[in-house]
Amino acid sequence: MLGRFEYARPQSVDEACRLLAEGGRAAAVLAGGTDLLVDLRNGFRSPSLLVDVKRLGELQALKTRSDETVVGAAVPLNVVVENRELRKAYAGLSDAALSIATYQLRNRATVAGNLCNASPAADMAPILLVLDAELTVQNAKGTRAVPVATLFTGAKRTCLVPGDVVIDVRMPPLDGELRTAFRKQQRIRGHDLAVVNAAAAYAPSRATLRVAVGSCAPTPVLLEPFDTKGTSPQALADEVLRAAAAATAPIDDVRASAAYRRAVLPVLLRRLLADVVSGRGGGI
Amino acid sequence: MHDIELRVNGHAERASVPAGMTLLEFLRDRLALTGAKEGCGIGECGACTVLLDRTPVTACLVLAVEADGLDVRTIEGEAADGELSALQRAFVDAGAVQCGFCTPGMIMSARALLLRSPHPSDEEIVEAIAGNLCRCTGYEAILAAIRAASGTGGEP
Ligand SMILES: Cc1cc2nc3c(=O)[nH]c(=O)nc-3n(C[C@H](O)[C@H](O)[C@H](O)COP(=O)(O)OP(=O)(O)OC[C@H]3O[C@@H](n4cnc5c(N)ncnc54)[C@H](O)[C@@H]3O)c2cc1C
Ligand code: FES
Ligand code: FES
Repeated sequence: MLGRFEYARPQSVDEACRLLAEGGRAAAVLAGGTDLLVDLRNGFRSPSLLVDVKRLGELQALKTRSDETVVGAAVPLNVVVENRELRKAYAGLSDAALSIATYQLRNRATVAGNLCNASPAADMAPILLVLDAELTVQNAKGTRAVPVATLFTGAKRTCLVPGDVVIDVRMPPLDGELRTAFRKQQRIRGHDLAVVNAAAAYAPSRATLRVAVGSCAPTPVLLEPFDTKGTSPQALADEVLRAAAAATAPIDDVRASAAYRRAVLPVLLRRLLADVVSGRGGGI
Repeated sequence: MHDIELRVNGHAERASVPAGMTLLEFLRDRLALTGAKEGCGIGECGACTVLLDRTPVTACLVLAVEADGLDVRTIEGEAADGELSALQRAFVDAGAVQCGFCTPGMIMSARALLLRSPHPSDEEIVEAIAGNLCRCTGYEAILAAIRAASGTGGEP
């Protein structure tokens, strides 16, 4: 038994919002449950109501078009991984999803759940930060867009409030070529949380590079955009490394020491930049 | 309590379950299907793997009430009329079963793989069973068993 609580499977988003608003802090949204049910089992959380949003139609969208890419909040990671259009447009997104947990868990786990859980090591966070993704969030008062860049307010904390339901994650329209990549340093090859993770998006025609780093601060960190015009790959890498070091503050934890994280971050970033700048893409 | 209706290995089941009961507890304690094991209870080991609508999940991290209306398959659904499935037979023949604790989950992950990819590559096999830990075999015999069962068809 994972505890004493009530379970509801609302028939509409409105009903979900109402149940969550009534429940306040004692209610929790249940998506794949791969973070939440572990927290219940370990006694880290003890909500009195779980509101299961997995079967709500509005949360099942998966659209990849040049003008609009939408990943519904209930879409399991395996569906994201296996979508060819998504891989063509955003290889880094597919690779980040594939790097999470195991096949069995990816049948349950969602992109939205990964973001809302707000682990500093969340593997979907860096790539969605560099893509300027936004969450569509609904509550009893209405619907609003929340940029992923403003979502994280601390380790395991977000700006969402009780009653909020994430409906989907949206990427802005693709405007010209965009090369994306994700890299993750783990203790073991296989399923493990990141010691350090990072993602990049490079738009050659606009000469801009976006880089985000995870597991090196209380929240995933998006660096200021880099102007790549007239910069050698070497100089660009040095600039990115300097900015990343300045924007992060690694700590010692069960997975690695701060010193190891500081040492491995530049290695990971150089590989990541080679992925996007040389156009090799992918690779974890 | 929640009233649920689901299919388990082809049989319709109805039950009333508390919200906090996992699908693994439901299968083991209510239906006496003790093939799926609890190794860790937190999604790490895969010993509790069952198929939910033909796709593998860790039953320790699924609530019984979440399986309402869905189709569940466990290791007990593999053998028909006392005859091992080709996949089970391949595990025995390859020496892929030692203590056996991981085996029910391992076979369900392999079953799901054969359902979606009847002739899997080694890479696909490794990815499919990466979430099933085995402390005994060193995995080589398991890979050999799944390779041998490749092409025997998705259904047991
Ligand atoms: C063995 C194991 C390995 C793992 N490996 C990794 C890994 O390699 N990398 C990684 O990043 N993570 C990993 N995880 C963590 C977890 O699987 C992911 O974070 C997953 O994406 C969470 O999604 P979920 O749908 O299961 O979320 P849930 O557990 O359902 O929810 C997580 C949180 O988000 C909230 N939430 C979920 N959906 C919504 C919504 N639509 N609206 C509002 N709030 C919502 C919930 O209330 C809860 O607080 C692992 C977990 C396990 C058990
Ligand atoms: S018991 Fe479910 S994964 Fe270990
Ligand atoms: S046979 Fe013993 S754990 Fe796999």
